Amino acid sequence: MFGLVKGLGITLKNMTKPKVTYSYPDEPLEMPDRFRGIQHFDPEKCIVCNQCARICPTDCITLTGKKHPDPEKKGKVIDTYDINFEICILCDLCTEVCPTEAIVMTNNYELAVYSRDELFKDLEWLHNNNTNIRVENNSAKPKAPGGKSS
Amino acid sequence: MLRTEEMLLNVGPQHPSTHGVLRLIVKIDGETIVDAEPVIGYLHRGTEKLAEDLNYTQIIPYTDRMDYLSAMTNNYAIVHATEQLMGLEIPERAEFLRVIVMELNRIASHLVWMGTYLLDIGAMSPFLYAFRDREQILNLFNELCGARITYNYMRVGGVKWDAPPGWIDKVGEFVQYMKKQMDEYHGLITGNEIFIQRTKGIGIYDRETAIQFGLSGANLRVTGVKWDLRKNQPYSIYERFDFDVPVGQTGDLYDKYLCRMQEIVESLKILEQAVEQFPEGGSTMGKVPRVLRVPEGEIYVGIESPRGELGCHIVSKGKDKPWRLKFRRPSFYNLQILPTLLKGENISNLVAILGGIDIVLGEVDC
Amino acid sequence: MNLMMVVGPVLLLFIVLGFVTYAILFERKVIGWIQNRIGPNRVGPWGLLQTVADVFKLLIKEDIIPAKADESLFRLAPVIAFVPAFAVLAVIPFTEKIQFADFAVGLLYYMAISSITIIGILVGGWASNNKYALLGGMRSAAQMISYEIPLVMSVVGIIMSVGSLNLHEIVEAQQKVWFIFPQFVGFAVFLIASISELNRTPFDLPEAESELVAGYHVEYTGFRFAFFMLAEYVYVFAMASLTTVLYLGGWNAPFGLTFIPPIVWFILKFSLIVFFLFWVRATMPRIRVDQLMQFAWKVLLPLALANIFITAVFKEIPVIGKFY
Repeated sequence: MFGLVKGLGITLKNMTKPKVTYSYPDEPLEMPDRFRGIQHFDPEKCIVCNQCARICPTDCITLTGKKHPDPEKKGKVIDTYDINFEICILCDLCTEVCPTEAIVMTNNYELAVYSRDELFKDLEWLHNNNTNIRVENNSAKPKAPGGKSS
Repeated sequence: MLRTEEMLLNVGPQHPSTHGVLRLIVKIDGETIVDAEPVIGYLHRGTEKLAEDLNYTQIIPYTDRMDYLSAMTNNYAIVHATEQLMGLEIPERAEFLRVIVMELNRIASHLVWMGTYLLDIGAMSPFLYAFRDREQILNLFNELCGARITYNYMRVGGVKWDAPPGWIDKVGEFVQYMKKQMDEYHGLITGNEIFIQRTKGIGIYDRETAIQFGLSGANLRVTGVKWDLRKNQPYSIYERFDFDVPVGQTGDLYDKYLCRMQEIVESLKILEQAVEQFPEGGSTMGKVPRVLRVPEGEIYVGIESPRGELGCHIVSKGKDKPWRLKFRRPSFYNLQILPTLLKGENISNLVAILGGIDIVLGEVDC
Repeated sequence: MNLMMVVGPVLLLFIVLGFVTYAILFERKVIGWIQNRIGPNRVGPWGLLQTVADVFKLLIKEDIIPAKADESLFRLAPVIAFVPAFAVLAVIPFTEKIQFADFAVGLLYYMAISSITIIGILVGGWASNNKYALLGGMRSAAQMISYEIPLVMSVVGIIMSVGSLNLHEIVEAQQKVWFIFPQFVGFAVFLIASISELNRTPFDLPEAESELVAGYHVEYTGFRFAFFMLAEYVYVFAMASLTTVLYLGGWNAPFGLTFIPPIVWFILKFSLIVFFLFWVRATMPRIRVDQLMQFAWKVLLPLALANIFITAVFKEIPVIGKFY
């Protein structure tokens, strides 16, 4: 009988303790800087190296490049860039491999939509998703030559 | 004479206590179980087959989704196997971070087990209390690697992130907090007469049976076998820490509960030491080539996940992708003993015994 | 008088419905607080309309009767379960004035009528043609029959002391000392047996969520389900009232604090019992079905019998005897 009474005491004591719940939809949750939210894409920086599309474990990134409009310059510029958030698992690998930090994580995580089509985010949408961008990007990855991780 | 009839009862895949999508076909006579047959595969995603088309870095997020209660240990299994095959040196700081996150994850996983187990038995509050404390661990992980469940934190050769400033201190604070909380759990559950009645002497098996079924983790240790891969086949830097392997005596459900609760305490011990010895400075990433090409060969490594021996078997043909990848998932092996345990038991014991095995369906079906 | 006969029960029904509405909210709030949560707070201020919204949802739901169910019994079961729950309230004396039927065998009436609900639950479990419901119904029948005996036996001590089955007289007899003190063993047995009669944790086996999904009402939806739930909470109301009347001195004020009206005292004591039920629910795991039976027959029943014996003996001892 004693154990039951002790348990009742503990539950009663917990009644007065402060509540631990978040009032989530009313107050958006503050995520730490490293949080892996929806990506922000900066077309200016992109060099169309295709690394993000290759590393993506779920193949949710599709991109196409076009010739640089300035014929003087070499290389390509980005034409289309789409991430399919139906299958994106926000694993952070695309931002990890990006050599120019053209694609970076933000702290935004609200992905609920009424139609599956809306989950298909294009270049413009990703570019406009420019709030709460992660400050500390790839700091753990040594940038020095030779010490690069995959 | 009354004619009695056996009845087929379909438990799951949508049942509150099958911990996911396990299905049990139970033959009952009144409320006594005559026969039970688990049906698995409702959560099969073919991780092992998919991995053959992915390079080693890409496999890591997939392992997060196997045992989703302790993704860090899964991360470590694949990363550790790859490193062993490549013969890589891991920086000390990375090893410390790995041990810290794995032990934190072990505590989180055992807390979830404890909470859901009590929920199976019918008590509601311990579940919420367990999640309250687990939340602290998840917040720590969120700060460290930006995710709460699917961490994708470890990399071949190290870890992705160094600890943010002050994070190690927060782990130290959590250890002290958790030590206090353990008293609350013991007061609420361990001495509870109804809980003792529900678990003592139920679901007993001896060490021979346990070994024959290939059980591991707390399910094996509860029979008195002192077998913990962290001690018996030390990996990472576990040799440096002083901790104990709790074993049970009788092999019943109450022992399993005590065993897992004690494991939390031992993990806290490891964490305390790791926080103390945490090296100043140093890299968190070893010297790893840009494209991971694993030399031809074969390797099996086993590590101690919260559920038992999590093995990773890689067969490499020298490409950047494994030729064959096989996970020895402890939940899957531990589940095999269920039909034997259930025979002749009351239907109320079904959920208690099933919960006691501590399965994660994401891992069983892989 | 005739008008009162009609208006009274209707009024009581609304009071009881109001109680059920807020008891459910209060239960969720209390359990929430115990678990470091806030509890429902979205519908209405402080969540006050949460239950109203829930009931409204149940009422507008599609009325489903499983194809293989025994239709007429399926429809009848919630009615059988609910009617006795409300009928027993007639004999409860809330204060000296507020009582609907004051007759000599009030306690016996309560015990007898409340047993009928089991039939409703059993019929519901059977008619659903669902294995979980059948198991839940069977458990419920076994449990309620087992616990009725210690429940009745535990109050025999009081009946012996008062010499009457009339609830009004039982309360009158407690003006000096509440029966909880001389009849403590009886009270403990009564409380445990009543929790079991109410199918509440730790004795909620008939609907054991984690084992039998929902037990006897697993196939019920909408309005019929609401009736089962209503019956359950009306019994909480009835049982808490009965406990107050039998052991906590009903409307009698303690320490001579008679300036507070008797109905307030009744409500206070009553709320205490209800809170205790919720508190126990938030703490205890569920007992197993065979242990439940053993507990009833091997522990509670001997204790109740011992209580009768002790009462009989003490009644004859000069000084102590006046408390009995």
